[in-house]
Order: sequence, then C-alpha cells, then structure tokens
Amino acid sequence: MSRSISDSDLVSTFAHLGIDRDSAAHYAGRLEHLLLINRCGECSTYHHPPRPMCAKCWSTDVAATEVTGNGVIDLLIFLHQGPQAPGVDYSTPYPVASVALDEQAGLRFTATVIGSPNEEIAIGQRVTLDWFDRAGVPTPAFRLVGGAA
Amino acid sequence: MSTSSRNPMKDLVAFAGAATTGFSAHNTDRTPLSLAAEACSKLLRECGLKASDIDGICGPSSVSAGDLQNTLGIPELTWWSNPPIPFVNQVIQAASAVHAGVCDTVLVYHVPYRHAFFTASALRDPFRRVMPAIAPGGNPDTMWGPIGYTAWASRYIHDYNVPKERFGLVAINDRSNAQDNPGAAMREPMTMDDYMSARMVRWPLCLLDMDVPVDGADAFIITTTERARDLPFSPVMINAAVLGMVDANVEDQTVSLEHHGHHVVAKALKAKSDFWIDDIDVYFPYDGFTIITLNWLENIGFCGRGEAGDFLAANWDAEKNRILINGRIPVNPHGGALSEGGTQGSGHIREAIHQLQGRAGVRQVANARRTLVTAGGFFYNAQGLALHRD
Repeated sequence: MSRSISDSDLVSTFAHLGIDRDSAAHYAGRLEHLLLINRCGECSTYHHPPRPMCAKCWSTDVAATEVTGNGVIDLLIFLHQGPQAPGVDYSTPYPVASVALDEQAGLRFTATVIGSPNEEIAIGQRVTLDWFDRAGVPTPAFRLVGGAA
Repeated sequence: MSTSSRNPMKDLVAFAGAATTGFSAHNTDRTPLSLAAEACSKLLRECGLKASDIDGICGPSSVSAGDLQNTLGIPELTWWSNPPIPFVNQVIQAASAVHAGVCDTVLVYHVPYRHAFFTASALRDPFRRVMPAIAPGGNPDTMWGPIGYTAWASRYIHDYNVPKERFGLVAINDRSNAQDNPGAAMREPMTMDDYMSARMVRWPLCLLDMDVPVDGADAFIITTTERARDLPFSPVMINAAVLGMVDANVEDQTVSLEHHGHHVVAKALKAKSDFWIDDIDVYFPYDGFTIITLNWLENIGFCGRGEAGDFLAANWDAEKNRILINGRIPVNPHGGALSEGGTQGSGHIREAIHQLQGRAGVRQVANARRTLVTAGGFFYNAQGLALHRD
C-alpha cells in the first residue's frame, strides 16, 4: 500500500503504541484523521486490533477500512493516575472508553472521551468520533452525542 | 467445542513439598536470583534432597533456569523451561515433563518482584530501573493488561448494580487471613471504612482492589507420586490441571463476563477432575484484582451471575471477619494476592500444598484433603488446579 509517509517516519511516530506491519495501515490512517479498522474482503467481517488474517474465514484479504466511529460506550474507566503522556493531567481523572461501533456487533474501539465533564460520561451513551493532537500526532477520541442517553 | 475428560497424568504426578521466603511490600536489596536461591535451598533441605536429586528446573523468565542451576550447583539437568506466568503454567509444564519421562524431579520456583513498572518506589531503585521493561508505557488510551480488569469491574457494577462494599469483602477476607501468616506483606487489620476510603487508582478500582507488589520467592518439588511417597511430606497429587483462553481474548474485545478464559477452565477442570466445589475443604480463587475473585465464584458455580458479593455477605464469618463458604470452606487462608502479596498464583498453590500436607500452622484447616485453585484472570491467563492427598 502506498503511503505519503515513509515507514521509518511512521514507525518513529507510533513506536510508543506498539506499531508493527500488521497495524501500520491503521496508524497511517490516523495521520489523515481516518479511523481504519481491518475488514475481510471475502466475508466482510471487521476485527480489531489489526491481525494478518480474518478469524472468521482465514482469508488474508484483510484491509484497513474506514469506519464512522459512531457507537455506544460499553466499557468506561477514569484514570486517577497513569502513564506519562503529553497534555494528560490526572488531577482531573482521565476517561477511557471502549465503544461498541455501529458497524458490527461486538466490535469495539478504545479511546478517551473529550468535550464533556466526567459526571456526564456513562456506559450506554452514544458517541461519535473526533480527533485531537497529542504532541502533534492526531489521536482519536470520542465525543458524546446530544444530551444524556 | 468439545471438552475432553482425557487425563492420563491424573494422580501420577505430585508436589512433594513447597517453601517460601515470605514477602515484603518494600524494596529489598535482593535480586530475583537471590530470592529464588533462598526459597529453593530451604525447600531442598526440608525435603532431604541433594542437588544431584534434581534433574529438571522450571520457573518464570525473570530468573533463568540456567542461572538458578549454576547458583545452586545442580550438576545435571535433562529438562528445563521458563514459560510465562501465572504460575499454573510452570506447574503444568513441569508435571508434563515428569509424566513424559523427560525428567524425574523438578525444582519449580517463582519470584514475585517489585519491578520498576509496578510502583513509583520501585522505580526509584536504580538496580530495578535497569531491568528489562515488562510492560509498555506512554499510552493512556488503552484497556491493556491490568487496566482491562478495571474496565470489566466497571461494567460488572453497571450491569448488576453491585455496591462497591461487596468488592471490599474480598479485600477484607484476604487481610483478615493474612494476620495468621507471618510471611504476608500486609497484616494490619482492614475495616470497610479503610477499604472505602482507599486512594482511587483507576475508577472504579482503588488501591485495595489491587494486589500488592512484593519481593519474595516460592519453591516447589514436582515429581512422580511414587517418588514423592519416599520423601518426608505426604504427596499432594495433581488430579487435574488446565489453562483456559477464548478467541476474543483482547481486553476491550472480550465478549462479556460470561464468556472468557474462566469458563473454559471451569468446564475443562470439571471434566478432568474427580471432585468439585462441594467436595473441597479450602478454596483458592485468584485475587490479583477483587473483580477476579467475584467472577471466579460465579464462574466456578458457587453462585449465579452478579451474585458473588451477596454470596460473600451470606457466607461471612463475622467472628473472624472473613469468608467461610457454607460455614466450612475458607478462601485464600494465606491472605491471597491482596495481602500476602502479588504472587501470580504461586502463593495460592504453596498454601494449598501446605494445607493438604497438614503443615499450615495456625491456619491449618482441619483434615484438609481436597482443594481447587482457580488462578489467573479473564484474558490470557485463566488456569485451574485440582489437588488432593490420600
């Protein structure tokens, strides 16, 4: 797959997230504000994290495919302490949510939640995808849709 | 999936003994190798074994089998392995090697250690800082590893409307039991107020929901049951041993708390063993996080979905401030991972052996004959052991 960024630059940008050849397309998508999730070209099943084969049909025809990022919060925690990361201040607990994406039952993506006070974030709420920059790198996040679910 | 009851190793391989250094919740000035060597030499002396009686070594990768062999002067090995923890991995590999005839008598060890990743105070020790990193860092946007347990604890509370005090019963049980264990790292009594006011780490789990990083070591002898009968302590036979994992094993992709590694272990261990929860005298569910213990109680069949907290309250020994299932079965009498120390299962198995050998001192469960150890968590490391004596 052709990319506008060299492998060397891509790896150095995402080394702290454990990038490898199987996840390279997903991370390259982030640079263009695209949430790419691996999808099977044979049976259309999505999976995440990126694997080199479809677990449903063993096809190797899997491609990082754009998803909307719309979904529902399935898992939710608030970090009162955690790893050092640019711009993360745990003095306000840091939300992390696993969101069940609308594209496929049971398919989840994990990111932080932005734009709402912690008291308003809860399991079961609908969210949409947004992006913010962390040390200059586009980073996916979720934002609550409308009011409380 | 079919669950096989095939188990040709049943009762033919046994633990001949177990020993420990005891555990410290503070940085010691000891290396993992030094702690392993202490526990192993103590055990070999107790069992009346010479270095030349050992022909197999198995432990975690943090102390290589070669370094331990060299340190203890064990002249010749025909088998060794350093599989990943938790500790039933080590037990199954060693027992399988004995049963297959690759070796006869294995020295098995584990070294829980305050690695720099675990705590800020461990990070301050320069000798610990230069050890290889055991976990990734720098990304808060993940449910990776230990964080996944917090995520599913949050979901459990949401789905079943469980008050946080129910999690506290797991922590208090361990602390009450640890008061009878001189080797435990945390022995100060714990009240529910102490638990509820503990520092929040990752909401909804607080410091006292998480196991204690410790320095220390456990050691074990695994050999044929026949050989073990010639040694000083009664053999603790491995009736059944399994690991369990499902395909959706990534923390944030796990299907639900009703479908993960625990359920594979419960089904397979029940199919392969000769006894089950009504037959045991003491129970060892893993407790690296309180949610794991609550979920094990449900998954092994003591109670229904979401009912573990109420089950603990109904099976509470108010006098000793601890769990006593059906007024009879203590749970993690050594203090478990939350109070003896985070041993990744080795402490649970060591205490199980001491209980079945009648060597548990003031913690001894009268006439203990059978036990189940359900070790590990939900994602990559669920494990089970059924142990008994004659």
